[in-house]
Amino acid sequence: MVDMRSEEILPLITEAIVEVLPELDGHPFAESDSLEALGADSMDRAEIVMVVLERLDLEVPLVETHGPRNLGELAGLLSEKTSARAR
Amino acid sequence: MSRVGIEAMNVFGGSAVLDVAQLARRRGLDPQRLDNLLMREKTVALPFEDPVTFGANAARPLLDRMSPQDRDRIELLITCTESGIDFSKSVSTYLHDQLGLSRNCRMFELKQACYAGTAGLQMACNFILSQTSPGAKALVIATDISRYHLEDGADASAQDWSYAEPSGGAGAVAMLISDVPHVFRLDVGASGTYGYEVMDTCRPAPDSESGDVDLSLMSYLDCCEQSYRAYERKVEGADYRDSFQYLAFHTPFGGMVKGAHRTMMRKVAGVRGGEIAEDFERRVAPGLAYCGRVGNVMGATVFLSLASTVCNGDFDSPKRIGLFSYGSGCCSEFYSGVVTPDGATRLKETGIGAHLDARHRLTIDAYETLLAKSDFVRFGTRDTTVDQSLVPATRPAHGTGPRLVLRAVKDFHREYAWVD
Repeated sequence: MVDMRSEEILPLITEAIVEVLPELDGHPFAESDSLEALGADSMDRAEIVMVVLERLDLEVPLVETHGPRNLGELAGLLSEKTSARAR
Repeated sequence: MSRVGIEAMNVFGGSAVLDVAQLARRRGLDPQRLDNLLMREKTVALPFEDPVTFGANAARPLLDRMSPQDRDRIELLITCTESGIDFSKSVSTYLHDQLGLSRNCRMFELKQACYAGTAGLQMACNFILSQTSPGAKALVIATDISRYHLEDGADASAQDWSYAEPSGGAGAVAMLISDVPHVFRLDVGASGTYGYEVMDTCRPAPDSESGDVDLSLMSYLDCCEQSYRAYERKVEGADYRDSFQYLAFHTPFGGMVKGAHRTMMRKVAGVRGGEIAEDFERRVAPGLAYCGRVGNVMGATVFLSLASTVCNGDFDSPKRIGLFSYGSGCCSEFYSGVVTPDGATRLKETGIGAHLDARHRLTIDAYETLLAKSDFVRFGTRDTTVDQSLVPATRPAHGTGPRLVLRAVKDFHREYAWVD
């Protein structure tokens, strides 16, 4: 796995959300959803990102994943990170 | 072998305390999320309390137990705070005066957010180890307060920030550092540091705090891992799961430490499943007990957790404690030391738990009145007389010794008094 597009990363994010917040199993996720609105507190949000980074086998500081306001933006940012690694 | 560390220490967790569940009900906070904070009570700084009174009240019981000769060997006083009261004059000058220390004593203040206390401890230990003044002692006082005031037009949607109110505390820890480290013997050289520039939480203007909860948590977690990895590179055979019988963390609130521990056990120790929760209860929870009764006391917090670990843990034989200190901005450190049965007995004799039990319990209405009046001495106050109305009600239990209170400010100079 080298360079991943954000469409490929989005399902990994929703899987991670369900792993951290099992009550959201079966929830219809949209790119515009924010983790906060989905009920994730600050620790949940960090854990969701950590799970995705682990699945992507991506070693980047968590602080570099800070900033996205919704799932689509997070997928986009992580896609850039995988591209940076591929180069 | 180099012997250095904490000869004696004491915690001052304030004169008054508020039940966090009451505050949460008043603010309409989600009870589930509140439970995740692992907070029971928070210390509330009263109008006659400031970083000087907190620091003095932590240190005085230590000094009262020393002989005049020993007190005169305190040749270094470091105050560690992000709640300074003057850009130039340090809190250490007032503390030096109120504690009656020798005039042949170096004094200054140190700042690096919540890392300041560890920076002070390490600098003091290096002073002792350097042997530039054999037999000398150092006094390190970490003291911090947070004040909350209701501002007009405050952003009610700042959901996460509203969860900072229950966890923001006030308190101080005083530590006597010497080459007879009865309470905590530092593992000299066993330390990993990690830091970089980040704008996570800060105090950019007098009497105000600002921050990004997510960024701060992420930075804390990054540092927790990286400082430990730096420690591991320096200490042959270090193992996160087995080398430390207890872990004391900088504790903004207990839930954050629970998450950090879970992450470390997964990523660094390679542990999954039920063992993580069992390990948390055994190695981490003893250190959270006092933190959950005081709140975040910034630079002093990691030592509040250390004291809690020693007083609530089982020290029937010498035990190694791993400490993680993090200060926004940021600098962090993972280091360790050993506590013996004698050290645990000595610390328990200072009666920290009894002091926390004896604090005055504010009603939620009394707390709201304090907030609304915002009757504390603001940074830069030139002249004022400080409201003493809560002094009698918050009087400490009989036999616990005098307490320092702030009386007035005259031409910027703060005036204090010891009251029984």
